[in-house]
Amino acid sequence: MKRHFRELSVTGALLLLLLSLAIFAPNFFEPQPLLSRLTAAAPKLVVACGIALVILCRQIDISVGSLFAVCSVSAGLLAAAKLPLPVAVIASVTLGAVGGALNGALVAGVGLPSIVVTLATMVTWREGLRLTQQGVFVNLPDGVQWFGLPMAAGQGIVCGLALAVLLALAYALRFLSVGRFVYAVGSDAEAARLAGIRPRLVTFGVFVLLGALTGLAAVMNLVQSPQVDPGTGRMLELEAIAAVVVGGVAVSGGRGNVWGVLAGFLLLACITPALTYLDVKPYWDKAIQGAVILLAIVADGVRRRKLNR
Amino acid sequence: MFRFLALTLGLGLVMLTGCNKSGPDSAAAPAGGAPAGKRLTVALMPKSKGNAYFVSCKQGAEQAAKDLGVELIFDGPVNPDPAKQNEIIENWITLGVDVIAAACENKDGISTALKKARDKGIKVVTYDSDANPDARDFFVNQATPEDIGNALMDEAARLCGNEGEFAIITASLTAQNMIEWQKFIEARRVAKYPGMKMVALRPCDDLKDKAQSEATTLLSAYPNLKLLMNICSPAVPGAAEAVKQAGKAGKVKVIGLGLPNENRRYVKDGATDTVILWKTVDLGYLTVQSAVALAKGELKAGATSFHSGKLGDFKIAGDNILLGEPFKFTKDNIDQFDF
Repeated sequence: MKRHFRELSVTGALLLLLLSLAIFAPNFFEPQPLLSRLTAAAPKLVVACGIALVILCRQIDISVGSLFAVCSVSAGLLAAAKLPLPVAVIASVTLGAVGGALNGALVAGVGLPSIVVTLATMVTWREGLRLTQQGVFVNLPDGVQWFGLPMAAGQGIVCGLALAVLLALAYALRFLSVGRFVYAVGSDAEAARLAGIRPRLVTFGVFVLLGALTGLAAVMNLVQSPQVDPGTGRMLELEAIAAVVVGGVAVSGGRGNVWGVLAGFLLLACITPALTYLDVKPYWDKAIQGAVILLAIVADGVRRRKLNR
Repeated sequence: MFRFLALTLGLGLVMLTGCNKSGPDSAAAPAGGAPAGKRLTVALMPKSKGNAYFVSCKQGAEQAAKDLGVELIFDGPVNPDPAKQNEIIENWITLGVDVIAAACENKDGISTALKKARDKGIKVVTYDSDANPDARDFFVNQATPEDIGNALMDEAARLCGNEGEFAIITASLTAQNMIEWQKFIEARRVAKYPGMKMVALRPCDDLKDKAQSEATTLLSAYPNLKLLMNICSPAVPGAAEAVKQAGKAGKVKVIGLGLPNENRRYVKDGATDTVILWKTVDLGYLTVQSAVALAKGELKAGATSFHSGKLGDFKIAGDNILLGEPFKFTKDNIDQFDF
């Protein structure tokens, strides 16, 4: 109970929000818009889970939003060139993994600070995309939206994929040795090295995995409409990092789990629509989100000081 | 030491990518009937060259340059960046172009540079977004905020039969031009359509996906909603997709400011009723036509109309050359436009 206090308190806050919505704005739970919102949020959750791994490793990646856009547009252009959808999916995941590997190599291989490396790749991907795509939407052919299936089936696949990623990561982090390595490296890289773990390899690995998940998320997002907006993914890195931090993953690495990330993500994702349903002026939206993040960080800071005493 | 080095290196990289200097896309016009000797050079600046809107302006500009047999230089920042705009203007002054036509990201920022160009004898017009009046000879005005606000509100009222609830999706709550449009939309509503009620205003951060989510939520939070008015371009297809997925196509109307290519499929299948904009290609054409006329001394201060090649006559109000009423793209005409 005490060990998971952080995750449980976020879940509590989420339930409280949902409860008040059930009382004051029952429309929030209308099935069609609810499912649409969940489906739209699913790709972001996948990215947030990937970011959680990187933060557990005591690193950061702010290039995911740009990489997400590059993968989306690339997959979109391949689909628009009438290539089969699986090809576009594989290309997107591969491209994502390559982008992640580039970050990983510079951080783990060359030993550069991840915030600077990913700042550079963030700008490079985004500007490169702007230069080549000139802001023009990619129109997708028929049969790409919802994988060519009826809408409900497509939404099922997208949400199912997100759930699968969540379960796989939860299992791996808890029960597989590679998962424990991530915690070990994030807690104390030197101690991990002395224990026979190769911290740089683990760090490289999580960046590659994050990249691949970003590529997957790009496809999960792409199938939800018949067009790709090349501006897509803007601010995605911030949304994902916020979800991870609110979900109780320590920015100093080594602590947290994906269930907390899920709770933090859902809490933040519910705030924006909740305000619309409650007829609150949109000016409050970002302020409230910011306050939630601040609260989470302060809670972590207080907890750390207590532990150190 | 190493950390410091890495930091400088990394930052250097960012600076480099941020300010990459790509050569101007020079669109050389064929010699045609141009007189021998030095051809007139028109330098056209967009707010950012990676923007579909300005790319379509460029199409019209190239056509005008071809018709008139002048040289056209098209260059601008990769992102909307006032400092970068000034830098390019300085380069053009050094290069000695004959006339500059600029869409200004920052009124005050660019005016100093433009004034300097005028001092060197270079003629200046602005288009799309104006500079300070003393920094240019004419402003090619595509539509006043009042025209836009009126056109949007009139169209909304027409589609709703003059009464009912509607919501607005905007890019951000702070974008100056959109706040201006909202003001005129509201003024028109109060003056002419008291039966119409604006129930919500939501920002979509200029992203289609976010607009889609916002529209999905609006449709369920306001079940009596009759129309979604989208005043930033990515929001129009986003809202249309949301209306379709909610099974409310045709029942909830969608209108907005946008580009034909981004909305074609929704306009054709009836999810979107009207896309409002001006003809961007014509804006580019008129801009280059008036820039050249100005440089040749055919267009002078005090003129009340201007004849622009194949497009005919345009009114001039003060020092504003008016492109005219906003244009409505509908099912019937959208296939005539490709931008």
